[in-house]
Amino acid sequence: MKRLLLGTAMTLGLAGMAAAQEYKIGISNTVQGNGWREEMVCAMKAEALASGKVASLNIAHRNTDAAGQLEDIRNLIQAGVDAIVVNPANAEGINAAIKEATDAGIVVVAVDQAVTEPSAYILSNNQEEYAYLGAKWLFEQMGGKGAVVYMRGAAGAGADNDRDKGFKRAMAEFPEITVAQEVFTGWQQDQGKQQINDIIAAGVPFQGVWTSGIDNVIVDAFVESGAPLVPIVGADNAGFVAQLTSVEGLKGAAVTNPGSVGGAGVALAIQILDGKMPAEKTVLVNPALWENVTEEGRAKLAAAANPNLSPEWPVSVSIDGWTTYTMDQIIACKGPGE
Amino acid sequence: MRRWFDANAWTLGLAVLLAALLLATKLIQPGFGVSGLDSLARAALPFALATVGMAIVVLAGGIDLSIAAMMAVASVTGAVLMDGASDGQAAFIVLGVLGLGLLMGAVNGLLIVVSRVPDIVVTLAMLFVWQGVALLILNAPGGAAVPWLRALSTGSFPGLDWLPRAVVFLALVTALIWLPIRRAKLGLRLYAIGSDPLAAFRSGVPVGQTRIIAYALCGLFAALGGLSVTMGTGIGEPIPGPYLLASVAAVVLGGVVLGGGRGGILGPVLAVFTLRTVRMDLTLLSVDPNVAAIVEGTIMVAVVMFGAVLAARGRKG
Repeated sequence: MKRLLLGTAMTLGLAGMAAAQEYKIGISNTVQGNGWREEMVCAMKAEALASGKVASLNIAHRNTDAAGQLEDIRNLIQAGVDAIVVNPANAEGINAAIKEATDAGIVVVAVDQAVTEPSAYILSNNQEEYAYLGAKWLFEQMGGKGAVVYMRGAAGAGADNDRDKGFKRAMAEFPEITVAQEVFTGWQQDQGKQQINDIIAAGVPFQGVWTSGIDNVIVDAFVESGAPLVPIVGADNAGFVAQLTSVEGLKGAAVTNPGSVGGAGVALAIQILDGKMPAEKTVLVNPALWENVTEEGRAKLAAAANPNLSPEWPVSVSIDGWTTYTMDQIIACKGPGE
Repeated sequence: MRRWFDANAWTLGLAVLLAALLLATKLIQPGFGVSGLDSLARAALPFALATVGMAIVVLAGGIDLSIAAMMAVASVTGAVLMDGASDGQAAFIVLGVLGLGLLMGAVNGLLIVVSRVPDIVVTLAMLFVWQGVALLILNAPGGAAVPWLRALSTGSFPGLDWLPRAVVFLALVTALIWLPIRRAKLGLRLYAIGSDPLAAFRSGVPVGQTRIIAYALCGLFAALGGLSVTMGTGIGEPIPGPYLLASVAAVVLGGVVLGGGRGGILGPVLAVFTLRTVRMDLTLLSVDPNVAAIVEGTIMVAVVMFGAVLAARGRKG
């Protein structure tokens, strides 16, 4: 309650100096309670605040499908926002509402995943490259042969599909690599841990594990069961990055998949509203790979680790050239008027 | 007159609540008008169709936890078949998908009647089966919807600017399917097995057969709901949306008694529109999204409790 009152007081205070803060930006996201998405939303809030040009954010953030996102985007149009930054439920399903928004003069930026509606701007992580980069490194570590446990994301999700393409591309380059087990973690920590425990207990032979970002619990499972460690590839989640520098005998690599792409999307929307059009409608953010087997890789991991971050958050909390907020601002997770 | 009013008090109350909410929306956002009503109606359409299906099984004393998964099967089947189909072919595809819905529902009902396992267990198991079927048909969002189908729920009704086509579509299909059944012997039987299956059996109602029909009708509306998702998005989605819990909530809020036998179809449909309007207002007010879910739930509990108090008073008087 105190926070609410404080928030109201701050809103009133900020309204007084609203002259410089002109834009109203809407946000639509369809996965709630996931570390990556929470960081994305915090990056959006932090960027809106740091830009000094956003009067208010209108956030539609809940667990729903593309039909629900159509509803959210149309509600944001009704709310009269100047721009909408959206993490699309899938590439085609929300095109109708995006078209309605851009027809109404609203700038639409899709972040994280692409949409096929040509009037939208896209700022997305390259998901195919994400999987390819990690899988290739893993297969090299395995000496180009052996069996890999393939722990995917959610069946039917667009990003999982793109990553599968990248994984298959790496597989094609290493003909002696086979898949020992293929499972869908649903990007759920508990589910992924149960699955790897089952695989270890079943005694299926494997020489490496590729994960779609459910990573730190996989390392936990190996440590707890005392099973011999194999090379593991994950995302740059804070918990996994810390394990790469601390768990004895663990060879692994973190592939960046910055949730801060949401902040970059807000930055792009503000640029367009200011009249600065980007050269291309689609901007792809390419992943980087940080491994712990070379001196150079370990230095990168050490630089990225941050004990203040929630273990499920990606450590790549900013994107050079796009986001302008500070580390403290994104951790505080406060938007304009909060 | 008095009796009609008493019998429909709950539905009338919901209609008043909805009108008040729409008025509040206009106050929050003075620009709210035809396009706002249209987006509200389009958002409500899949929820409303799922709710009608759920209401029918609940009235008949059951529950169908697989409704959202059946919608996903219908959505992907329609979208996959319509990809590249002509307008004429699409009409047959739509009929085929509706038939598929009837079939899926009938399978649910048959399993319940034959196995005598409780409906909640059977349909929970079938939820996973239909989910798997949907992913087998299409493992990622894709497919297409023909333009004429998408146009059925887009924009205003010709000549009446304020009347969204999605509302006309909903009213038409629901009336065409439900009204003849409600007025026929079958309607009475559905209510009869819902309020007291033993009494219904002793009065000569074929309980098993009626139950299977109730589930088949639920499947039919699930197929319509799945098609409406495809109409809205233009693609098929293999992962079920949030329609199961939303439809149960709307059925309860709409005055249908869980356990069966009492309630109607209009109440739950009005409840769907009420819940969608609440969601819209929360977005317009830019309420913290984590708080918004709590607000939605609280409103639902408050309305149902308020109604229960009123009903108890009415009985005393």
